[in-house]
Amino acid sequence: MARKLRVRVDHDVCVGNAMCETFAPRVFRLDENRQSVAVDPAGDSVEKILEAAENCPVSAIFVEDAETGEQLFP
Amino acid sequence: MVTAVRDDMFTPDVIADPYGYYGRLRDEDPVHWNETYALWVITGYDELVWLTRHHEFFSSAVFKNDPRPPYPAIDESDLGLYDYVRNYQGDQFIQHDRPEHLEMRRVVHGYFTPKSMEAWRPFVQKAVKELLDAAEEKGRMDVMRDLATPLPVLVIAQMMGVPEQDRPYVRQLAEKLLYIGRGEYDRMKPLTEGMKGMIEYVSPLVDERIANPGDDFISVLASGEKQGVFTRHEVLVNTSLLLLAGHETTINLLCNGTLAFLRHPDQWALLKEDPAGRAKLATEECLRYDSPVKSIQRIASQDVEMRGKAMRKDERVRWFISSANRDPQKFANPDRFDITRWPNQHVAFGSGTHHCLGATLARVEGQEVFKALAERFPDLEVATADLEYQPSITFRSLRSLPVTWQ
Repeated sequence: MARKLRVRVDHDVCVGNAMCETFAPRVFRLDENRQSVAVDPAGDSVEKILEAAENCPVSAIFVEDAETGEQLFP
Repeated sequence: MVTAVRDDMFTPDVIADPYGYYGRLRDEDPVHWNETYALWVITGYDELVWLTRHHEFFSSAVFKNDPRPPYPAIDESDLGLYDYVRNYQGDQFIQHDRPEHLEMRRVVHGYFTPKSMEAWRPFVQKAVKELLDAAEEKGRMDVMRDLATPLPVLVIAQMMGVPEQDRPYVRQLAEKLLYIGRGEYDRMKPLTEGMKGMIEYVSPLVDERIANPGDDFISVLASGEKQGVFTRHEVLVNTSLLLLAGHETTINLLCNGTLAFLRHPDQWALLKEDPAGRAKLATEECLRYDSPVKSIQRIASQDVEMRGKAMRKDERVRWFISSANRDPQKFANPDRFDITRWPNQHVAFGSGTHHCLGATLARVEGQEVFKALAERFPDLEVATADLEYQPSITFRSLRSLPVTWQ
């Protein structure tokens, strides 16, 4: 059973660079303001999601384990 | 309604105070047709964000897609030189649209992540310390010459593996490249000299990294050629671009930020209370309050309507960071320099898919400089009443910033 994640994008800092969409296209989608939203935290692998978070140029993505609450990124 | 805003943006008063001129446009006509230069001038915050996030309507391939001669007008005999400029600029990755832009950006994006840039912080700290040691010993400092210029040049040159003895020469070439944002009718000569000089200078460095790749940034760009993403000319042009962009804008952040502190003693006092704790938000406010880059251009890639104005395909669109970052509809007391402001969604680095690649590096350098100045030079003062800015519509650049201390 894959690890369940909670993924959040902080819209106070997201600039719509859209790199997250490139790394994990099934998880991140741009909303009508062209800011990223985590639509399905199970859409791509944990590795891809962490890669997307690390490549966010403004560190707007937060990832934690949904069951234990352990912070995985940053 | 606009009550006859004159359209010349290169006059000394607009250069000295962009906030007055562009601020008035923002308040009266945020999507303004500038008749003199035949371009749209976008000055509102919401308009700027919408525009930069709709890259499908506004092309970044400004040089390739603009068939008109440059503005302001240049000497007719220099039109051949302008063709060289178009070819050179056109190969920069920032002058591309998706899908090519994404492919090119992916080659370089990973090098500049917040985590990788954090690893450079100790190097930046050491460089700041050494520059301030030297200034302290001399007993005076021109922030521009002695700190703001050498620091980012040192850092980007280190990242790119540019030998130390070549750095002053690289800076000389960079100063010629800055003619891109200026209005002199004979500016094509120094500009093309800078471009040709850069290509000539970086060619052997690139050859060497293609043969023997290392962990430096030129090797990263060179890997783009192996992946088939970049041509050799594109590697050369983008190496030059990163050498320039990697320091020019940061110079302005460091100078304009220092000046903002010295003109606002209450905020300077606040930073000095807790330099390490306050440097981060303070740097964001410096970026907002007196942004290093004033404006950037696009070309409409289709007919598009904005605020009821009809923009036609191929028209020039220039968006102004300086006025957007002072928009009262977005920022409370926008003309107040407030180093505790948060959230601070300024657009100093642009927005959308073209958001500045080096933003985190600039932030690290700003944070370390403002922190160190507050710790080491608590009674810093501006030593002149006459501060002058470079006559550029792109960059907000002081010519010098002499300071004194007790």
